[in-house]
Amino acid sequence: MSTPYGTPGPGYGTPGGPAVFDPTTLPADDNVTPYTFCVELKGSQWFLQKGKMIAYYGSMEFNGIGHGRLDRLVRTSFHSPLHASDWVVAEGSGKMLLADRAFDVNSYDLEDGNLTIRSGNLLAFQPSLALKQSIVPGFLTLIGTGKFVAASNGPVVFMEPPIRVDPQALAGWADCPSPCHHYDHGYMTGVMGGLRALTGLGGASGEEHQFEFVGAGTVLLQSTETLMAEQATGAVPPDAGVPGSGAAHTGPSQVAGGQRLPGQLGDLQRRFGL
Amino acid sequence: MGGRRPGGPERASKGAVRGDVHLWELLAAGACGYLRCVAMFRLQGSKVLAVDMTGDAVKAKNGSMVAYDGQMAFKKMSGGGEGLRGMVTRRLTGEQMTVMEVKGHGTCWFADRAAEINLVNLQGDKLYVESSNLLATDAGLRTGTSFTGLRGASQGNGLFTTTVEGHGQAAIVSDGPAVVLRVSPQYPLTVDPGAYVAHQGNLRQSFQSGVTFRTLMGEGGGEAFQIRFEGDGLVYVQPSERNTIAGEV
Repeated sequence: MSTPYGTPGPGYGTPGGPAVFDPTTLPADDNVTPYTFCVELKGSQWFLQKGKMIAYYGSMEFNGIGHGRLDRLVRTSFHSPLHASDWVVAEGSGKMLLADRAFDVNSYDLEDGNLTIRSGNLLAFQPSLALKQSIVPGFLTLIGTGKFVAASNGPVVFMEPPIRVDPQALAGWADCPSPCHHYDHGYMTGVMGGLRALTGLGGASGEEHQFEFVGAGTVLLQSTETLMAEQATGAVPPDAGVPGSGAAHTGPSQVAGGQRLPGQLGDLQRRFGL
Repeated sequence: MGGRRPGGPERASKGAVRGDVHLWELLAAGACGYLRCVAMFRLQGSKVLAVDMTGDAVKAKNGSMVAYDGQMAFKKMSGGGEGLRGMVTRRLTGEQMTVMEVKGHGTCWFADRAAEINLVNLQGDKLYVESSNLLATDAGLRTGTSFTGLRGASQGNGLFTTTVEGHGQAAIVSDGPAVVLRVSPQYPLTVDPGAYVAHQGNLRQSFQSGVTFRTLMGEGGGEAFQIRFEGDGLVYVQPSERNTIAGEV
């Protein structure tokens, strides 16, 4: 059943028909439907990913971040200069609708906190938050106080560490639990494990590798294992010891050796001397 | 087709979401005797359209029927049933529509690639929609083609669009549930061309281009093309921009 959001107003549209919105009935900084988010601007500014605005009432201006006038803003709340071209600043007054490829969108409030999110999921944020590249390649970190909007493939679930999660279902984490890789060694080692790895016989359950989170905080999961297309986060300086700086930028699910085919458990030859 | 014509306000009920599958039987037995009967559109879930018919007809996108109950006849209508002139216009404008006429007694269910369906009530006003986004219309509604100018070009779906006019219901599809936005003289609306699905009412549209030298330098705002709607009416926008699955829609 489709749920009508908000109340239908008079005029066009009939009772019993779909809800009709105008600037007075659109929510301020809240969801219109699970897939559409409304942002109210009152002379304020928001950072948006390019092309996520679907409609607006009022007068607004969208400027690329390279815009000279916005230099100060970028310096204080935007710290990944190398992918600045994917972002725009919306300013003006009115109400603006955001959506992303019909994915679920949600807003999150941070209060003097931090949250790390997969780069493809972030849609928009208030300039009171600072956006930085995460050390984990493919992720972005938001620090400070304010609101941001993120998309996910299916609704988001919040979990408390300690927890192990599927790499594809991970959307992000807040308040710094420690993320690390976890392998199901019981399954991967031994004669049978080696045989499975070498021959592909017996197969893999696809769940031998997880991300493990320990420590205080919250882990955000999306309810499918279909990843959202990744947004480039920009390169990192080619210094020694900087993750992701050596080879070409690989995805977030990177284990030593890069992407692996299903049925292949790992570089077992190298790992266990086979 | 189209001899009998619709009830405006005197219709038994509007095509709202209703659980009763056998409503058509009641209608056939009672209401239809003195009220003129019109196909009843209702949504079953958000991706399936159910139409209750009592001997009347609807026009629907070719091949969009997923199930039916009762007696139905499906007839392909060349040129969207607009006669020779309509057929030639559609061929010339590229705004082609393969339509079938479904007629009978019972319930017929329609769906299109799991896209979300939105019901539109027309009371004498005109709906502008891209032919690929139009799923079904009451057979009594007139369809035609109209020139859209730069808006169509910016959406990447041609310079012409389909119009639906009259009294009755139509169903349009969108990628994700559409949001219906009202435009009134004091609240004009600006829409991204990729998210625009349809509009109805008395609206003027103007095409805004924010292309500056910055755009050429790759530092544009990313929202260089916009359509501004002014006047009085409704605009349907989808929560997705036409470039992913909707690229060919």
